[in-house]
Amino acid sequence: MKLIQRTSRTYLWLSIIIFIASTIILIFVLTTVMNNRLDDQLLYNKGVIAKRIKYDYPLTIFEEPEVLNEAENKKFAKDTLIYKDTLILRAIEGEGVNEFEKYRQLTAYETLHGTRYKIITRNSLVRNQDFIWVIVWSTFIIILLLLTGLWILNTQISKKIWRPFNTNLDKLKKFSIQDQNPIALEPSKIDEFIELNNSIKGLTLKLQSDFNNLKEFSENASHEMQTPLAIMKSKIELLLQSSTLTKEQSEQLQSIYQAGNRLSKLNKTLLLLAKVENQQFSDKEEISFKTLIEKQLENYEDFIINKKITVHKELSDHICSANMILVDTLVSNLLSNAIKHNIPNGKIDIIYNKDTLIFSNTGNTLKGDPVNLFNRFKKESTLKDSLGLGLAIIKQICDVNLWQLNYTCKENLHIITVIFKT
Amino acid sequence: MKILIVEDEIELLDSMTTYLKNEDFICERASSFFEAEDKIVGFGYDIIILDITLPDGSGIDLLKLIKEHSTKTGVLIVSAKNSLDDKLLGLDLGADDYITKPFHLAELNSRINSLIRRRNFDGDDSSIQFNEINVDPSSKSVTVNGKHIELTKKEYNLLLYFITNKNKVLTKESIAEHLWGDDIEMADSYDFIYTHMGNLRKKMKKLGAPNYLQTMYGLGYKFTDNKQ
Repeated sequence: MKLIQRTSRTYLWLSIIIFIASTIILIFVLTTVMNNRLDDQLLYNKGVIAKRIKYDYPLTIFEEPEVLNEAENKKFAKDTLIYKDTLILRAIEGEGVNEFEKYRQLTAYETLHGTRYKIITRNSLVRNQDFIWVIVWSTFIIILLLLTGLWILNTQISKKIWRPFNTNLDKLKKFSIQDQNPIALEPSKIDEFIELNNSIKGLTLKLQSDFNNLKEFSENASHEMQTPLAIMKSKIELLLQSSTLTKEQSEQLQSIYQAGNRLSKLNKTLLLLAKVENQQFSDKEEISFKTLIEKQLENYEDFIINKKITVHKELSDHICSANMILVDTLVSNLLSNAIKHNIPNGKIDIIYNKDTLIFSNTGNTLKGDPVNLFNRFKKESTLKDSLGLGLAIIKQICDVNLWQLNYTCKENLHIITVIFKT
Repeated sequence: MKILIVEDEIELLDSMTTYLKNEDFICERASSFFEAEDKIVGFGYDIIILDITLPDGSGIDLLKLIKEHSTKTGVLIVSAKNSLDDKLLGLDLGADDYITKPFHLAELNSRINSLIRRRNFDGDDSSIQFNEINVDPSSKSVTVNGKHIELTKKEYNLLLYFITNKNKVLTKESIAEHLWGDDIEMADSYDFIYTHMGNLRKKMKKLGAPNYLQTMYGLGYKFTDNKQ
């Protein structure tokens, strides 16, 4: 539920309650005031009648006079005034229908010229009730108008007030920790929003700087590891030259050497990843993918022939502008991936045109979730020499170049597509 | 052949010196910018192996100094940085080759030899002779007992690598990196070394060369005419 809906709903309920309460009060107050007025009128009329009786003026009689019975006379021995509402059957003119109408009635018992009189005066309440309903309806319409007006005003104002908030929310959704520039938020004049903006700015700046520090750290750590690794490797190599080594010693040395080599490859790859991430390969030059792919195919020739893989290629001569090292690494990783995970007598299809680069290869069915495939150290294969970083590098290179990377798997055919157009 | 090795890591400097001395190079060492500066100004070297990152100065400045003093000196840059800028700057300023830490000593030796061949210091025939085998790097051709032998590119590179590092144990890893580049991450690359070695052996045997390739306990191989 939107905030505006939530508050509007509260307003609406409150207005309904106030409207009902005020209508009830209004009806009550109006009825009381009008009855008072009416009672005064009835009293006045009774006075006029009494005077006419007193001075023997002729009376316009509406009903046949009742004869005061004894019981009543006894009951009201003193002069009494009784007000009450009563329903009287009355013919409505022209319609021939009898209908009960509400009347206010004053019954007075009085002694005039020594005779007991019962004087009844009445006045119709219908007009009064109509009046009250008119007032109630007017109030209702006024409140309705007020509510509609307020609602329109509210929506308009809130639209205006929330606009910077919404734009900033969009910016926040698009925010990437890898952006080099701080997030640019739309300013607002509302205190709460200003505070929110400031908090977001602070938070994102902190995130970015932490991320940069982390990246720098991993790059520096990789750098610093190069030299000790170089010392280790060189010492083992020298040791290997010694002619007095026994078979057992050689084997142990070999294990150390291989572990060292693995470490150094891992380190080199992580360093490469860090550098790609840190955008250190920004120089662009004219590159022919065709030449690069053919060069890599030649380099991997032995591996292709050994697995009896058939390579089919459709390469356009298109020249694109990109970083040579990155593209070379991309192609090399795609190809080595396609060979490594291929099956004997398998197939590799390479298609390059100015919009896409497609590597598809036959291979075993994927066991894991393909979403994780491009994550670091996620290995599908059990190949012991695989570092699990090849696809991560491919992804990173595509990311920095804003190329789209897709992976699909159709019946043992693994297809990796790089889309250059963004 | 006189070589100056500039490297601030003493341990690595020791390894490099030991390996290259074994290859009959005359090695001098410098472990700091100033030491290197002194030696470069004071003496002449055929080859200088230069670490770019020194604690008291940049190897790039030393490179400029080298080029001012002797254009004949070959320079091989060693860097832990593996960064393109360093590489391009180094090569632009007249360095001849570039190698990244950590490297194989055999690879370093092979690069130095190739550098020597390219610079052709002696001015005469640069071909390499090993008993009955003759390798001519300028035409990339190999003869055994005077007879031409047809080798594939990989076999030729393999043979040259072995002859350059003769009498040394070359690990499979070092050979694989030399043949396919250090980006290679293929489990079966060692099988191909074996295949290429087999083919090389066969071709040489056909022309009457003895089997110089020895297998070292699965560690690697050694190219030698000493019987074990």
